[in-house]
Amino acid sequence: MDGNGRWAQRRSLPRTAGHQAAETTVIDIIEAARAAGVEWLSLYAFSTENWSRPGTEVDFLMGLVRRVVRKHAPLLLARGIRCRFLGVADSRVPRELAQDFEDLATLTADNRGMTLTVAFDHGGRRDIVEAARSLIRSRTPADEVTEQLFADHLPFPDTPDVDLVIRTSGEQRISNFMLWQVAYAEWVFPEALWPDFRAPDFLACLHTYRRRDRRFGGVPPRTMGDPS
Amino acid sequence: MTTTGTAGETPLFGPDSRFSAFFDDPRWALAIIRATVLEAAHPQIGAALVDNSTFVAHPWRRLRNTFLSMRRMFGADPAVREREAARLNRLHARMSGSDYRGRAYDAMDRATRAWVVATLFESAVTMCRLSGQPLDQDTMERMYAEYRSFLAALDGDVSELPEDLDDFWRYFDRVVEDELENTEAARVILYRLFDHLPAPALLDGAPTLWAAGRAVVGPLLGAITVASLPESYRRRAGLPEMPGASTLMQGAYCAAGLARFLPEGWINAESIVEALSLSPDGDDPRARTVAALAARMKRASALLRLLTPLSGVLHPDPAPSAGVGESRRSAEEFFRKVLDQTGDGHLDWPDLAAMARELCTRLDLDEPEETRLYDAFAAWWRELQAALDTDGDGRVSAEEYATAVPSLAGPALIRVAEVLFDATDKDGNGTIDADEYRTLFRTAFHRDLTTTDGVYSQSAFVSDFLSFMSGRRTNTAYDPLLADA
Repeated sequence: MDGNGRWAQRRSLPRTAGHQAAETTVIDIIEAARAAGVEWLSLYAFSTENWSRPGTEVDFLMGLVRRVVRKHAPLLLARGIRCRFLGVADSRVPRELAQDFEDLATLTADNRGMTLTVAFDHGGRRDIVEAARSLIRSRTPADEVTEQLFADHLPFPDTPDVDLVIRTSGEQRISNFMLWQVAYAEWVFPEALWPDFRAPDFLACLHTYRRRDRRFGGVPPRTMGDPS
Repeated sequence: MTTTGTAGETPLFGPDSRFSAFFDDPRWALAIIRATVLEAAHPQIGAALVDNSTFVAHPWRRLRNTFLSMRRMFGADPAVREREAARLNRLHARMSGSDYRGRAYDAMDRATRAWVVATLFESAVTMCRLSGQPLDQDTMERMYAEYRSFLAALDGDVSELPEDLDDFWRYFDRVVEDELENTEAARVILYRLFDHLPAPALLDGAPTLWAAGRAVVGPLLGAITVASLPESYRRRAGLPEMPGASTLMQGAYCAAGLARFLPEGWINAESIVEALSLSPDGDDPRARTVAALAARMKRASALLRLLTPLSGVLHPDPAPSAGVGESRRSAEEFFRKVLDQTGDGHLDWPDLAAMARELCTRLDLDEPEETRLYDAFAAWWRELQAALDTDGDGRVSAEEYATAVPSLAGPALIRVAEVLFDATDKDGNGTIDADEYRTLFRTAFHRDLTTTDGVYSQSAFVSDFLSFMSGRRTNTAYDPLLADA
């Protein structure tokens, strides 16, 4: 969800206006993903590094997210979307916001339509460190640690590997996003700023992804020759 | 034990008694509250209640115990009654002390115990009057005989209660006029208990709904009870006269009395009391339904919270972060829920005595096991006092406890665990089997329990008890035993 600030700057608006405009895109993309048959959608809303932004902007974001969550809770419930929040461990997250996250997760826990993971106060490295801690705490012998076992100690271990990451506004960095799960992800970098990003853009990204040749480190099947 | 009462055609105890007829009557719920206030207004009983009773912190457990005890006392089997009376006498013999003005109280005092029975009888009569279905003279006299023989079964002596019903009313009015006071215990029941009533185990998952309901019902129950008290007591205790309160009170009694038109068996006090103490984690066949219901209520209250309009400012979160602290509870919470059984904000001998009392009740202990358990708790109390009471006021405050948590598990606590194990191990074979476990915890072995061949060894039992008492682990079998309201 990049480009809110730049979107506002280009219109000579305060940065906060960009964040406000992002709300429409979020709802639009959730709808588009659900309609396109996406089963797992994750949104990177706030990273552990975003705390370094000016205090007023952070405060505004917290209030905005809280309003958005509450406003759309009934819609998410009705659409059968299971919501959960990845991260939310920092003590600077307001208590009321954490409560709302928890309530929305509780409310939609039984939904089976699509799983929406909102990464809020999320850092990929922190998750990996947490998994390591949890492994050590469970006194797992070093030889028994496998990739699968390690993944089981990550937050939300049922999350599958990420297939496609869309990063808007032309930025081409990973920025500490779900580091473990993006190992074999395809990346798409549309130029649109997040508030301008809409369902057709999203579908275009899905289309690009479908044409990608995913090899997971192997060789394309057609060069392997005819086995007969 | 003397058996008094008229050797009449129907027995005074058992399923045909007047008392049994009221047992499942919803009016009885209101009448019991009223009777309890009248009891608590007696200075001796009030002081004993404030010092020893767990009804503020654990009202539902207390209600269940009282209910089961009454059922035994008024049941048809004389052996059960005699045993229960002996148990109650032992229990009350351990309660004595002095009130805030230095007047001594003793829970074995004859006149005081007669007053408890008198309030129950008078409240039953008043309940019928207030709901517009007064009792006729014969029924009243018969019921009076029942209550007198209840006192006889309990005390072995009924001389404190007048033999004749006419004299009883004079006796009752005299006590109300001369002896009752505006005690702290009565005020607690009228104004604090219902406003702060913790949710029963059944509704523990829906704190918002519970709090919302309580905010409406609590003050109502207080107003209804005040309006139903004798006029002379209200005047002496300076209780408020609210406009419409007496109409409200009579309306409540009448409405509760309408339940008599329901088909028989629809309202069963026992199943209500049992259902309230059902914990969603239990293994009762009904527990799965309760768990499903609790999950629904949890979601409903989550939705309710999300739909309520936004409340002003956001506060940075000082609460513990999620994930890490889930299986451990904070020192304050442990103090409030487990240690401070009487809910007065201090850890004191009555708190530990209340724990011992609850364990004895659960295990249905007789002498000398009961005394052994009490002695073990008393030794633990001396150890705690020596270790924790830093300001030397004879009791342990929440702050003193919080600064000294690690020293809680001394040799005396281990001794408590061992004595408790011996008492639970009824057949004395050195292990606790499934039946013995169920007697103590009212639930089957937990899945995660370190049991071998379906038994619980002493070392595992002791270490689990210690980790509950000192390690502050939650979600153990001990939670419903000592922490639940």
